[in-house]
Amino acid sequence: MKLVLLGINHKTAPVEVRERLAIPASRLADATRTLLHHPGVREGMILSTCNRVELLTSQDGGDESQPANLLAFLHQYFALPPATVEPHLYEYREREAVRHLFRVASSLDSMVVGEPQILGQVKSAYTVAREVGAVQTELEGLLQRTFAVAKKVRHETQIGASSVSIASVAVELARKIFGSLDGKTVLLVGAGKMSELAARHLMEQGAAAVMVANRTHERAVHLAAQFAGTPVPFDQLYAQAAAADIVITSTGSSEPIFRREHGRQFLQARKNRPMFFIDIAVPRDVDPEMNRLEGIFVYDIDDLQSVAASNMAERSREAQAAEKIVSREVDRFQQRQQSLDAVGTVVALQNSAEEMRAAEMLRIRSRLAGLTDEQAAAVDALTRGLMKKFLHAPLSAVKQAAQEGDAETLEALRRSFRIDKDQEPGE
Amino acid sequence: MQVLWLKIAVVLYGLATLAVLPVALYDRSQWDRPRWASVAVPAALAAVFFHFVSLVEMLNAAHHLLPVEVHETRSLFGLIFGVTFLLVYWRYRTVSIGVFLLPIAFLLSLLPAFGHGHEELSAPAVHGGWIFLHVALLLAAYAALAVSLIASVLYLIEERRLKSKYKGSGMRWVPPLETLDQIAAKSLVLGFPCMTVGLMIGSFIAEASIGASFFFDPKVLLSFAMWGAYVAMIFIRQSAGLRGRRAVYLSSFVMVVVLAVWAANHFSQVHRFPTP
Repeated sequence: MKLVLLGINHKTAPVEVRERLAIPASRLADATRTLLHHPGVREGMILSTCNRVELLTSQDGGDESQPANLLAFLHQYFALPPATVEPHLYEYREREAVRHLFRVASSLDSMVVGEPQILGQVKSAYTVAREVGAVQTELEGLLQRTFAVAKKVRHETQIGASSVSIASVAVELARKIFGSLDGKTVLLVGAGKMSELAARHLMEQGAAAVMVANRTHERAVHLAAQFAGTPVPFDQLYAQAAAADIVITSTGSSEPIFRREHGRQFLQARKNRPMFFIDIAVPRDVDPEMNRLEGIFVYDIDDLQSVAASNMAERSREAQAAEKIVSREVDRFQQRQQSLDAVGTVVALQNSAEEMRAAEMLRIRSRLAGLTDEQAAAVDALTRGLMKKFLHAPLSAVKQAAQEGDAETLEALRRSFRIDKDQEPGE
Repeated sequence: MQVLWLKIAVVLYGLATLAVLPVALYDRSQWDRPRWASVAVPAALAAVFFHFVSLVEMLNAAHHLLPVEVHETRSLFGLIFGVTFLLVYWRYRTVSIGVFLLPIAFLLSLLPAFGHGHEELSAPAVHGGWIFLHVALLLAAYAALAVSLIASVLYLIEERRLKSKYKGSGMRWVPPLETLDQIAAKSLVLGFPCMTVGLMIGSFIAEASIGASFFFDPKVLLSFAMWGAYVAMIFIRQSAGLRGRRAVYLSSFVMVVVLAVWAANHFSQVHRFPTP
């Protein structure tokens, strides 16, 4: 297998370039099919996300074959002048291509290291490529290994464990207080974009109900309708806030809306059940003194950002451990590939048989001295034919074992014919 | 054979403890990592099974249904902690509480498995039929109280961490506050009938063998005070929704009373009634 990966990503290209190469999901099958028909490409897959476009190909590997010109494919398919794309491209071959693919799927090459979406995106690209017949034996093995490595990285490190966005930090903290968010009630005070996003995250994680209070009641009604929630008149805020487990505030008030005495009142009404205040407003809507009350937890925007930054630092530490896993897995994959490389074994087997045939012909040359040139040529052809017939079965077995990834059978065949790995010709 | 089964149980408790300790030791770990649970839970399950078999064989071989000597009592107590760990995992899917429960189960089983000789319980009339239930139920109530106290302390720690906005590292393995609160409250509720029925059985047995003077024994009065404190604690927790610092204080106070009762029953020879 000759593996080549060509691409651009968020590190090498600005969004203006990336968006020109981006392939929508509806056109991915067509693009993959076109790549497959590009000269020199045996198998291929296209990964197109908002942060990267990458062409993964397995190419004809014979000495005489020309490498596929993937750059030409890009130019033809996207109708772009070379100067637009070329400075931003990277190309990896063989071992480095494997490493890059493992890193991408493990989210080590992502903009937010450890984000979980990329593995799903690689799997989607694989599914499309498989459906159009662009992924068969060679890339199949590589991609299956890639998914296993990504899973291993996620399982053995904490790379994706902690949240790094404000909204997801809010969800993580809510989980640390309430465990499951099932059945919890969220109160939005003010109708800011960030509080809406946080509320959406909480709803996705199981929060059951949303109440919205805003000084402009119409806006509260409008936002509540988006969550199938309940609008709360602002003058009833303190009376109804105790029903909420999580309060997200983002008003433009210059004075705190929630003070210590409100906290006491809420706790009494809730029989001390905990309450979580997420204060995204600047100036703050929640008096920091409320955090001193047992059972009330107040996080302002700086607190949330500080947790996110700390989690990001933790992810960086975990990424180092993940890089080690990837390196180990690349080595393993390479070793396995070498053991499965049928071409070397086939050539070594043919060479060995030819050497034996030539030696035998040399040994009986004196006894064949009386033959005419025509007769000698016939004997030579006969021995060649016999050799090919004898080799047909073992060579078929070698190729089949390589295709099926059966390393044990390949090794057994090599031992049977006394073929050392050293005898096999290199690339 | 029973000692062999118990030794196997001890090894398995040790394995489960070792599997669960990294949850606390590795700060970078999430509080509930499946790979630790995948070792700790099966090991604890197997340990409880062998422990149970060992206890049944031990009692059967001694031709009695109750733990009449210290090793047997310790073994039963250890088994209760092992079972409690499994119950908490089954209900809340957290192995974190095992950081405390599994080492207790391990240590309580260690002496019966590897210690020699017999130590008879100091209490008289211990060979009666119902007394097994009395001992087992009271041990279960003590275990429930210990679990409740551990959960309350962890609640306090996690509450402080959340209040301090996660500054500094450590203790990231502690389960969510609401889970801890439920563990603390439900273990008390489970322990209450055990303590009530256990004390009632003990009282009936003592009254039958000693008479009404039994109820004037200071140790017996202390036992009823313990029950009263237990009831008061459950009532206060449930009615006032007590959590955090005050819950820890209350649980600690009742734990001290329980320990005092246990110590009085084990070490004091003072009786206000004639022993049979």
